[in-house]
Amino acid sequence: MKKAIYIALLGCAVMTATSCNKFLDRKPEGALTEEEAIKNDADLQALLNGSYSDYSNKVQNGKYTWIEDLLGDQANGSLYTGDDGEIFKRKTSIFGDYKNGMYTDLYRPAYVGNNVLANIEKATTSRNSIEGQAYFLRALSHFDAVRMWAQPWGFTADNSHPGIVLRLQTAITPGERNTVKEVYESIIADLKKADDLLGDQVTLGSPSKWAAKAYLARVYFLQNDFANAFTYADQVIKSNKFQYDASYANRFSIGLSKEIIFGFKFIDNNLYPGSELRNRYRSDVGFSAQGRFHITDIFYTAATTAGDVRGTAWYSKTLVPGYNVLTKYNKNNFDMPLIGFTEIKLIRAEAGAETGAANLATAITDINEILTRAYGGTSKNLATNAVVATVISTTRRERELELIGEGNRIQEIKRIGARSGTNVDRRGGRWNCPGLALQFPISEQAANASFKMNTEGGCD
Amino acid sequence: MMPKRSLVGILMLLLCIPVFSWAQSKTVTGKITDASNGSPVPGASVTVKGSKAGTSTKADGSFSLAVPSSTTTLTISGVGFESQDVAIAADVILVALKSTSANLNEVVVIGYGTQRRKDVTGAITKVSAEKLTSIAAPSFEAALQGKAPGVQVIQGSGLAGSGSVIRIRGIASISAGADPLYVIDGIPVIADAFLRSNSGGMNQNPLASLNPNDIESIEILKDAAAAGIYGSRGSNGVILITTKRGKNGQPTFNYNNKIGISTYANKPDFVSGQEWLQLRQEAWENDGNTGKAPLPGGLTWEQAQKNNTNWWDELTRTGFINEHSLSMTQGNKFVKSFIGATYGENQSYLKNNSYTRYGLRTNFDFTITPKFKATLSAAYNRGINKRVPAAWAGGLGDAMSTALPIYPIYNDDKTWFTGGANPVRRLNETVWRNTDNRLIGGLMLDYEVIKNLNVRVNGSYDYLTGIDDQWESSNWINDNSKPGIAKRSPYRGRNWVASATATYNWTLNDDHRFTFLAGTEFQEKSFVNRVYVEKNSDRPFYKNKSLYDHALDSIKQTGTPLTGPDYNAETFASVFGRVNYIYKERYALQASIRRDGSSKFGPNKKYGVFPTVSAGWTISQEDFMKDIRFINFLKLRASYGLTGNSGFPSGQYYSMYFAGTNQYNGGATLYPSNVANPDLHWEETANTDFAIEFAALNNRLTGEVAYYHKKTTDLLLNTAVSPSTSFGSGYRNIEGSEILNQGIEFSANYKVINNKEVTFSVGGNIAKNYNELVSLGGLSADAAGGGSNDTRVVEGYPIGTNYLVRYYGVDPNDGLPIWYDKTGKLTKTFSLDNRMPVGSVVPDFIGGFNHNLTYKGFEFSSLWVFTIGGNIYDGSGKRQAGVITDWVIRKDQLDRWREPGDVTKYPRLTMNTGTYAGLSSEWQYNSTMFLYDASYLRLRELSLGYRFSAKTLTNLHLKGARVFITGMNLLTFSKYPGGDPEIARDFENPTDRNLSPNITYLTPPQQKSWVIGINVNF
Repeated sequence: MKKAIYIALLGCAVMTATSCNKFLDRKPEGALTEEEAIKNDADLQALLNGSYSDYSNKVQNGKYTWIEDLLGDQANGSLYTGDDGEIFKRKTSIFGDYKNGMYTDLYRPAYVGNNVLANIEKATTSRNSIEGQAYFLRALSHFDAVRMWAQPWGFTADNSHPGIVLRLQTAITPGERNTVKEVYESIIADLKKADDLLGDQVTLGSPSKWAAKAYLARVYFLQNDFANAFTYADQVIKSNKFQYDASYANRFSIGLSKEIIFGFKFIDNNLYPGSELRNRYRSDVGFSAQGRFHITDIFYTAATTAGDVRGTAWYSKTLVPGYNVLTKYNKNNFDMPLIGFTEIKLIRAEAGAETGAANLATAITDINEILTRAYGGTSKNLATNAVVATVISTTRRERELELIGEGNRIQEIKRIGARSGTNVDRRGGRWNCPGLALQFPISEQAANASFKMNTEGGCD
Repeated sequence: MMPKRSLVGILMLLLCIPVFSWAQSKTVTGKITDASNGSPVPGASVTVKGSKAGTSTKADGSFSLAVPSSTTTLTISGVGFESQDVAIAADVILVALKSTSANLNEVVVIGYGTQRRKDVTGAITKVSAEKLTSIAAPSFEAALQGKAPGVQVIQGSGLAGSGSVIRIRGIASISAGADPLYVIDGIPVIADAFLRSNSGGMNQNPLASLNPNDIESIEILKDAAAAGIYGSRGSNGVILITTKRGKNGQPTFNYNNKIGISTYANKPDFVSGQEWLQLRQEAWENDGNTGKAPLPGGLTWEQAQKNNTNWWDELTRTGFINEHSLSMTQGNKFVKSFIGATYGENQSYLKNNSYTRYGLRTNFDFTITPKFKATLSAAYNRGINKRVPAAWAGGLGDAMSTALPIYPIYNDDKTWFTGGANPVRRLNETVWRNTDNRLIGGLMLDYEVIKNLNVRVNGSYDYLTGIDDQWESSNWINDNSKPGIAKRSPYRGRNWVASATATYNWTLNDDHRFTFLAGTEFQEKSFVNRVYVEKNSDRPFYKNKSLYDHALDSIKQTGTPLTGPDYNAETFASVFGRVNYIYKERYALQASIRRDGSSKFGPNKKYGVFPTVSAGWTISQEDFMKDIRFINFLKLRASYGLTGNSGFPSGQYYSMYFAGTNQYNGGATLYPSNVANPDLHWEETANTDFAIEFAALNNRLTGEVAYYHKKTTDLLLNTAVSPSTSFGSGYRNIEGSEILNQGIEFSANYKVINNKEVTFSVGGNIAKNYNELVSLGGLSADAAGGGSNDTRVVEGYPIGTNYLVRYYGVDPNDGLPIWYDKTGKLTKTFSLDNRMPVGSVVPDFIGGFNHNLTYKGFEFSSLWVFTIGGNIYDGSGKRQAGVITDWVIRKDQLDRWREPGDVTKYPRLTMNTGTYAGLSSEWQYNSTMFLYDASYLRLRELSLGYRFSAKTLTNLHLKGARVFITGMNLLTFSKYPGGDPEIARDFENPTDRNLSPNITYLTPPQQKSWVIGINVNF
């Protein structure tokens, strides 16, 4: 009997001992649940801030730009291997960590935007700004993705060709591609909402309504919708919030540029924007022809014509003997512009020429301002009665020269191809060849077996 | 940080515990011999019947034991012999022990207890101490290779301190850990291979600091009957490590050492500088170019032609091995103690790479009253790993990749060459050292409440600190204004277990024996990182402690906490029970159950229940077997039960946000990091096991045949999340998923000759495992990949399937590669869409065989290990034997097409991936061109020893002495051209570790070593 009691007692002790749920609750230290994390305006802004920070460190740190420039036709890529070589050869595959990693990262602003919108009821005093930023970020994600992973606007007459996955909710669901038309409509709608909701004040690192308008100008321009592109570029310019940098050294500088409409601010010990630009373009430290930007002889000659201030400001043939290198990013740190005054001027110039009538005169004024700065005087300026074709061709040339090393060229190859069917690619590729759209990461298909992948290669 | 001072204090205290000597009454001496051949039996246990007081026999079989004068009977027992009770009829007792089959009375350690071998109903393989310390293996678990059927051990490269991959009865997981649970003296210890991720291209091994000389035995629990008592952590098998404990008698000391040399077992061959230039030029011209091919590294042809650097030779050496261990055991009626200390340095064949181990263990067993016992165990181990980068991280990896033979070490002006990879510069300009300190201690109290009812309370603590020290010279950081940079990043792991068990033994009418076990256990494990410190210094922090302390003080003054938050904190709370029933010593039944709750499991699945049942039938005890004389022992065993696998990180089921440590534009930041999954839980395995154990031919032939069937469901997957959600991963259990492992294991030992002068035995084991991913809920092959290793999970194929485009060969007309498409048609266009399951990292058969020959004092033994079937995939082959880039070129690439009509293995050389239609980059060259047969046979151990005769020893006042010479990995037979066929490369994450053994990526080959040593008892 005594035995039985002992055994029963022990049994009871043992069986009751584990009923302590608290012991089994080990939330990772420092982690917050959604209820704890998102309660008010400040929390929502912190969430947005985290997204800007991520976006500036992982996507628009130069990585996106580098992929664009690999796809373009200015780089001399004969020694590129691995992921760089694959992108340069315009035949990306389902693998490739460099682009696949960026793909995941560039969707984070959309996720955060959606998350903020899902919690927008928690905002009070800053609701407009927070909601506007959320739409702005979501538009950026989709715009970055569609420019890189889909054929351009105009590839099909009705733009019903496959675009990218639109993420308009936070749900973790398998991806399905929307058409390019749907994607652009969504981007424009988001940017217009951002334009309505965001404030007027310009602070480097935070989007203002002018940033939304500048992106609208860029989006419409890529659609070859010149009337709308002109309108939004015009509004940004007329805000008088931005002006040309007198020195080309200032565009990538710490605090000196007056051109930045939206970008990231260098803050020591906190944010170092543009790290990958320095990794990939710098020619004064650690240059290696296998992994860094250096340009073809043909483009170097075109970019360093006599009298072009940019030629001496941004290029060198002697810094690394045997290679034509850029010096634009030879700095330890700088603020990182994502969209700037020069580009908006170039958009207004070309859109003005395209739309004609009264806009043509504005266009000529705009391009002459660019030329005056570039050549240190008016010697290369267009006549005030220059014809449309001249204004367009000059603007396109100056755009390429102004935005060297800023990823612009590949977008122009596609846009101009869609505009007129001409192939301006100096590598002889077709503007609509399959490989100019990057291949999606295999994980999209792993999560959704029917995910429509891009066609690879075909750009030789 | 490591509480070194308090540790020393504790140890001093333990050493000061008075060791009472036992009042003697009379001394009995004697000698124990083997009845079959008359040879002495060393290590046999001689105890006073009915008491635990006793001693063990010396090398010559002799013993001397002081016993109370009232003692009339001694019990003699020895491993492999039947126990015998002997009356003390004379002062000198001579006993001849009869050998038993299959060590029936051997005590086997099981979860939360011990059992006699013949009562065991589960699949347990025991490996004894001497088998673990015979070779200079980098860590004790590596020494298990070839010694246990169904246990695959792949040693993790030739880097000093690197870890092994161990798979028990196949692999049953994709994204969760598939390593066994390691339990040392009752505490499941920290054995996470990813504590330092794969830094430096090495598989990390937190077990490396443990002293193999402390280990008494290792029991490997393989089926549900054995491992089920570990519930949600039993699926991958359990490795129980029991450390040595004190034995009764006067102090006995053991000293052993090993001194030797090490080199590499095997190495890949690369072309010389001249050949490299020729091949590059050939590729260049093949591509239609004229003139000289552009060269990497900023070298002109003239410069390049001058160089022919053998980077491999520059980075390797003959390593020295130097190990010493000393231990002491003694015991009396109050306390038995074991104290062991070790020092060992194992230099690998890589320059500047070594692992130095220091260890001290003290194990005490107290008998406070006859009913109340306590054991106190404490061990401190320190491992200092001088690191060098390897594989993708550089070092020898550079020598196998981007350090070209055309690159010089020095420029003409004697400065370092920096135009391309220069691993010699790195070797000389950087220092890297990992220091691991580990304290494992436990106190166990055992009280006999009433007769046969014991209550046991156990508390154990496992404390780990790891310090990563790096130093870079001013030359390395290209900054002469600094004397160099010292960097340190430490972490700390804490792990405690508290358990209480009650055991009740009940015997009814001698025929019915019951053992009841009930218990509860709590465990908590967590890690923290200490603040990362970087300072200008001309030497590493471990040589400049004041600078480090000063740096910490400055950080403290800024208000920054010196330790970060806990991470990977996990808890388990469990209850368990087990009933064993033995009827007439021939029928054994066991049932067990465990209920585990864990912080890893989501709120909807907080607790898992894991029941098992098993039975054993010793047929040879039956009357009808009495006449079958040639069979000495025959037992059938069967078990069924559920086990779980919870090898995934804690807290994954929460929707989580983290406040950023950085600000953005002066504002706070917040980052989402995880998506909620309240249903997250363990993977579950239903295990079935059948086995026959036998002994025949007068016990000269012993062995076991086992069949198992394991069905694992609710597989955890961390991948296949749509990346456009912005989350690359997320743990979840896949509905309808299933992995099947089934197999056969066979092991046998045969004593060919067994007489007093000569014994000769042969033995071996072989296991066949069939592994199949039956279902992954319809997800595609790319749902989970082994890192960058081109291994996948494909329904209907094994875990770790080589998923590649099939290479047909070279078109002799144009030298271009020909592929198979998915339908088997030949095509010249390469496409990743044509990837197929074509091979597997899982071998068909694994095993080992050994011989043991003794003649008088000489002992000559060998162990061969083998794998048959399976594939090796060379991830670096894409660049060493593929498109000509800026990598070294393997010699087998010389077999390439050069002109029409050539029949070759490799296609025409090119520098442009576009030459091979459809190939996007050399990295995406996922083809069977680099897939090889993984079969190999290796002479793992070869040993010649001499045991000094009792007569010699007596003159030297020694109780036993042995000298030996042992070689490890001496011979390797393999068809693999890329170097060493035993491969466990560094892994990126658990999925990679599960899918990609046998995939090499610049992995340093295994170590080959010779050691000589002595082992002395006195």
